Amino acid sequence: MKYYTYFPGCSSSEGTAVAYGLSTQAICSALGIELIELEDWNCCGSTPYGSTDELESVCIAARDLALAEKTGLDLVTPCSSCYTTLNRADSQLRQYPDLKSEVDDCLAAAGLEYKGSVRVRHLFEAIYNDIGLEYIESKVVNPLTGLRIAPYYGCQLVRPEPGFDNPNNPQSLDRLIVSLGAELVPFPLKDRCCGGSLIIPALDLALDLIHQLLESAASGGAQCIVTVCPLCQTNVDAYQDMVNRKFKTKYNLPILFFTQLIGLALGIEPRLLALDKNIISAERVLAPFTMAAEPKT
Amino acid sequence: MKTKAYFMVKLETTGGDGHTDAVRELEAMPEVEAVEPVSGEYDLVVVAAVDAPIKIALLAKKIKVKDWVKNLQVLKLEPAAPNPFLDEVCSIPGGECINWCVQCGMCSASCPNVNKMDYSPRKIIALVRAGKRYDVLTSNSMWVCASCYLCTARCPKDVKITELMHTLERLALSHGLQNGGATAALYRAFVDSIKCNGRVHELGMMMKFFLKTNPLAALKILPVGLKLLSHGRMSIKPKKIKGTEQVKTMVKRAQALGGTK
Repeated sequence: MKYYTYFPGCSSSEGTAVAYGLSTQAICSALGIELIELEDWNCCGSTPYGSTDELESVCIAARDLALAEKTGLDLVTPCSSCYTTLNRADSQLRQYPDLKSEVDDCLAAAGLEYKGSVRVRHLFEAIYNDIGLEYIESKVVNPLTGLRIAPYYGCQLVRPEPGFDNPNNPQSLDRLIVSLGAELVPFPLKDRCCGGSLIIPALDLALDLIHQLLESAASGGAQCIVTVCPLCQTNVDAYQDMVNRKFKTKYNLPILFFTQLIGLALGIEPRLLALDKNIISAERVLAPFTMAAEPKT
Repeated sequence: MKTKAYFMVKLETTGGDGHTDAVRELEAMPEVEAVEPVSGEYDLVVVAAVDAPIKIALLAKKIKVKDWVKNLQVLKLEPAAPNPFLDEVCSIPGGECINWCVQCGMCSASCPNVNKMDYSPRKIIALVRAGKRYDVLTSNSMWVCASCYLCTARCPKDVKITELMHTLERLALSHGLQNGGATAALYRAFVDSIKCNGRVHELGMMMKFFLKTNPLAALKILPVGLKLLSHGRMSIKPKKIKGTEQVKTMVKRAQALGGTK
């Protein structure tokens, strides 16, 4: 059993990506992972806070880091934005002593302290590196043979820091998909932007980007897209209709979280994977794989 | 007083690896701003900036002792024009890397939203370095940055362009040169949600955003909102964390400290 402090993030806990949080919980015990939710965590601040006030934004993220430090475990989040934001705060504190002393002052005012020892990790990376594909493959009872998938990394899993995968041509999600028995389709835009939070203030700009993504995935022959980011899922799933209307296209591509895909291959009940929360229904595409199968123990 | 110096350098060997190594070594010196090839008696012109004129001789000596230098001459000295805007950007954590930019344009070529920008990321950096505070801070460039970090990952000089864009967003607001339009309004609604509850309540944040900007625009994305709602992907009530007071205390203290912009 591997233990982690769990940081679901706002959207995966009870927001637009609630299916991500639910499917994460559903697969973790099957993979030998125990997630202990960080008590009373706050929003990481994401890009909007960082674009509004530097000191405040680092303080907000530092509260989570300070709380996580007390647990002594790695902090794991399924959200790419939380992953980047918490890591950014940590590296700013290490790089800029003046900023650190101000943040320490603010934390102390709230009765907190951060020494700088937390390791912030993405759930995907933790599963990929700590659990490993070999182990996952050994647990597959329902190989996704013939399912053609476009692996969508989005932006903030592999960037800005060169981390566990090649930032220019990431491969880890590709390998996971193959290990579950599914097929990869060529998807040159696999690490490109979905528009992120600009979908609200700059709708047309984001729709252009989503259109490009859908075009790239569909022209490769994908039956669905698999992602590691809650915002990517929401943008490409919930706004697909709008893209179809704007560009007179007929895309009907379900967007799955990688946790849902693993869950399916492990034979976990679709209901537990919250597949019904997808707006573009994945039922038709996944029909051959959703028959009940007992997970290996 | 900052002083700019131009050195003419003749190399022991021209062309090939020796030449490249010399340029690299020169560029790595913190005082050196640019190294350019020239034709004629000398091979390179080196532009450097130092804090005081007296340091020019020291720098000249430092370059002269390199074994690849055949001859060195100080071409001219001039007081560097004050550039308070560049100084301000450099004083913000992460902003200092703007000096490393070689204007290759990789950031502009990588940016998915460059076609929506008044100035491309490369131009933004050039304008900051030219001290064009007004042009930069009234432009829309930073507000259409989606934080995809493609520019940052690809930059050969490790300039943190995405960070720079966020810095410029904060400066544009704090200088009062623009209100940042819809993007800044969304960011404010997002931050307010955190300050109020400790977490972001998506529905509340979006309602606040549309009320503050253009309530009619909400009609356009209403179908999306309804679909999310009917699929159980929008919580109606915000969740308040116990540590909301802690968050408020920290924000208050940060504001009292004046904040790093």
